[in-house]
Amino acid sequence: MIEEKKDPGFEWGKKKGFGGKNREVIFYESFIYDGVAYTLYDSVYLYKEDEPEPFVGKIIRIWESGDKKKRVKVLWFFRPCEILNFLEGYEVRENELFLAAGEGLGLANVNPLEAIAGKCNVACILKDDRNPHPLDVDLQNADFICYRFFDVGKHKILDKIEDKIAGIEVKNIFNNLYSQKLGGLSKLGLDEKEVSVKVTTSNEAAALSSEKNNQLLVEKLGVKGFDNVDSRDKTLPQAKEKENGIYTTSLAKQKSFAKLSHFSRDSLELKEISKIGGNVSIDKTLLKSKTNLDMGGHNIVGIPDGHINKQLAEGKVSEKEKYGISSAKMTNNVKSRRNYDEDDGVKEVPSKKPKIDTMSVKHSDDKLPDRQINKRLGEGKAFEMEKYGAPIARKTNNVQHRRKYYNNDDDEDDEKEVPSKKLKIDTMPAKLARDKLQKESSTTSLNLEHKLDYRVMEVTQRPDIDRSKWFKPMAWEERMKNACEQGKLVRLENLDPSLTSSEVQNIIWHGFEESCTAKMIQKTAYSSPHSGQAFVIFKRKEAAESVVRKLEEGCFLMSNGRPLVGSFELPCLSRKKPIFYGHHAIDQPRQRETKDALSTSHCSQPNNIEYDMALEWCLLQEREDKSWRRLYQRQGEELRKLKAKLKSKI
Amino acid sequence: MESSAEEYAAFEEKVKRTVYLDNLSPQVTESVIRSALEQFALVKSVSFIPNYLGTSSLPLCALVELDSAKKVKEVEAMIKQYPFMMTGMPRPVRARPSVMEMFDDRPIKPKRKMKCCWLEQSDPDFEVAKELKNLTRKHSAEITLMHNILSKEEEKLSTQQAETLKVHYKKYKMIESIMTDRAAHTLARKYNLAVADE
Repeated sequence: MIEEKKDPGFEWGKKKGFGGKNREVIFYESFIYDGVAYTLYDSVYLYKEDEPEPFVGKIIRIWESGDKKKRVKVLWFFRPCEILNFLEGYEVRENELFLAAGEGLGLANVNPLEAIAGKCNVACILKDDRNPHPLDVDLQNADFICYRFFDVGKHKILDKIEDKIAGIEVKNIFNNLYSQKLGGLSKLGLDEKEVSVKVTTSNEAAALSSEKNNQLLVEKLGVKGFDNVDSRDKTLPQAKEKENGIYTTSLAKQKSFAKLSHFSRDSLELKEISKIGGNVSIDKTLLKSKTNLDMGGHNIVGIPDGHINKQLAEGKVSEKEKYGISSAKMTNNVKSRRNYDEDDGVKEVPSKKPKIDTMSVKHSDDKLPDRQINKRLGEGKAFEMEKYGAPIARKTNNVQHRRKYYNNDDDEDDEKEVPSKKLKIDTMPAKLARDKLQKESSTTSLNLEHKLDYRVMEVTQRPDIDRSKWFKPMAWEERMKNACEQGKLVRLENLDPSLTSSEVQNIIWHGFEESCTAKMIQKTAYSSPHSGQAFVIFKRKEAAESVVRKLEEGCFLMSNGRPLVGSFELPCLSRKKPIFYGHHAIDQPRQRETKDALSTSHCSQPNNIEYDMALEWCLLQEREDKSWRRLYQRQGEELRKLKAKLKSKI
Repeated sequence: MESSAEEYAAFEEKVKRTVYLDNLSPQVTESVIRSALEQFALVKSVSFIPNYLGTSSLPLCALVELDSAKKVKEVEAMIKQYPFMMTGMPRPVRARPSVMEMFDDRPIKPKRKMKCCWLEQSDPDFEVAKELKNLTRKHSAEITLMHNILSKEEEKLSTQQAETLKVHYKKYKMIESIMTDRAAHTLARKYNLAVADE
């Protein structure tokens, strides 16, 4: 039934049923694509050309159509930036996603299966009876969290949800037990090799092997760290590879955990470089060792931890302890990595190796009681990680540097850090939670310390960041008011009055690498012909502040010798009744005709008081006009004189 | 979002067909403008220019798209010649031809090149640019001040006119009352004057 496809990385999993007139449509519950096993209701990244960041969605149906086309129906998650216009007044976490709900455009649609770019880990932390609360480890490993919904029909953020979204029971959509239940069965079969070797062995043996493996792994971590730092050794010990596989398999067997299998597959088959947890794609040959390292870490951390926790809770300590300990350390390891990401100033490294070894030996020899393990899991990150963490942190730093390099071509400093091989980071944006964090932090720091580029830039269309074209944006006035309250609103001056709002956005993008929504102030008869103004809403308060500060300290020169001026001057939005001078009414009961005459528009005739008064107004208007003309004339003169002093003309 | 040349040309046409009105009372609504101008031309669309800057007492401004550029000239001439009242007296509205910058949703001028750069502190232009920035700020302060002064002027004229109006009103009221209670007739007879009969 399963056709041999051109694509060797693809295989169907469990069949679910048939559909269509002639039962030509086959529904599935799982499949393997590019070495990664996907199950129904998994969250995935979907890559789209021209989009800087992949979409995130949940697979809600998988099928093969009559003409052998592979299709998935995907229920979308929204990134906050995609629905920015409707988030005014909501606190949004950095890695928060909103699940589409309701009915309308943007809820879900059908995509070719090949559009899937990788697995994504979205933890649903909604407090709801129907939602099993995610384990802490899961939360830590989550790329994104989600607890709110976006109604695509009503364009509203929802905190609660009905029983069904897009016809799918929400219990499947929440942290789903479904795939866990299913996972063990369907996946194990795929890993026949490992299973056939290992299934028969006893629990103890498995534990032993895993322990041994861990020890080895730990050592390897040290060594690997070395290698990476020093020589970037490309050779990968096959032994470790295998053991890694065995280790994971034994776990898989014990727990029948869905995710494991694809890791073990990866490691055994030495497939193309894995997305770590479906993610960071780094140059294949070069960084294989690193990736494996990471994979080891991830495997242990991502899955067995839950397992351990569970076992500990049940009070079944027994022989698993050692393994528990080392895995605890691994967790720490990763945590430490995260720690290091935050302060990326780690330079000392390899000398720690001996300590690592002794540590690992000690821990795996000791039989620590249950409590202590827990303690370690809980708080023991501090010390040993320093030791382990260093090489790894160094490694992460490399990645970080690389990313920086990728982000910012002219960051010369980091260039030597980057191997000469071509990186293909861009083929798949990094998605691991920690990488995400790292990315986030690196971009923010980049922005904060963003060294100004002094070259002349030509303003072109900025990459379109707000992909919210599906929805009609909120009224500008409303948005401006909200942004103003949140300190995200900046007033720009000295723009060329003929610029359009989108051009202002482009300029901001080029000058500050910030995306924003801008609105040129429309000209009136009184506006200055010299200085156009615009209000700009930034995404974050910090961005707005940094832009204003940079404009204050530096000089951002635009065409025709215009330095941009920015300030937090607030717009005039008061809703109080505006005062208008010059309309009088006699506050006496009037006859009907006069009332009507007042409310209708008319030309005044030169035979009454109204006409005389109107002429007085005309006179005043003329005088005002003249005042403005003279003011602007003088201002223009002043500007012209000063601009003549500018040497460079851009 | 490069706008095509055709799009831009269409926009230019629209600008030519549009008349700009200001000195409008805050009570003026789209329907008021429509009914006011429909005696001269066909009103295609009306949009108010929001005032986010400066003083809140600035009168409303609006863009009114008419059916042809010729009508714009007619409306303009008419409103210039006779003070034109809208929802109130005696402050008249003003009409002018519109310009592109008044429009909110204008397309980007095709083939326009914008350039920008950050100036280094060592750059001789840095100081000049700094001065320019200051000048810009000064100018914008001047503009605000100007708005305030002119608004005061308007207020002055307005109160003065209110006063005049009150006096006039009193005068006419008095005349009316002596005419109605026949005091005028009594007096006329007394001084032997001819009085216009009611």
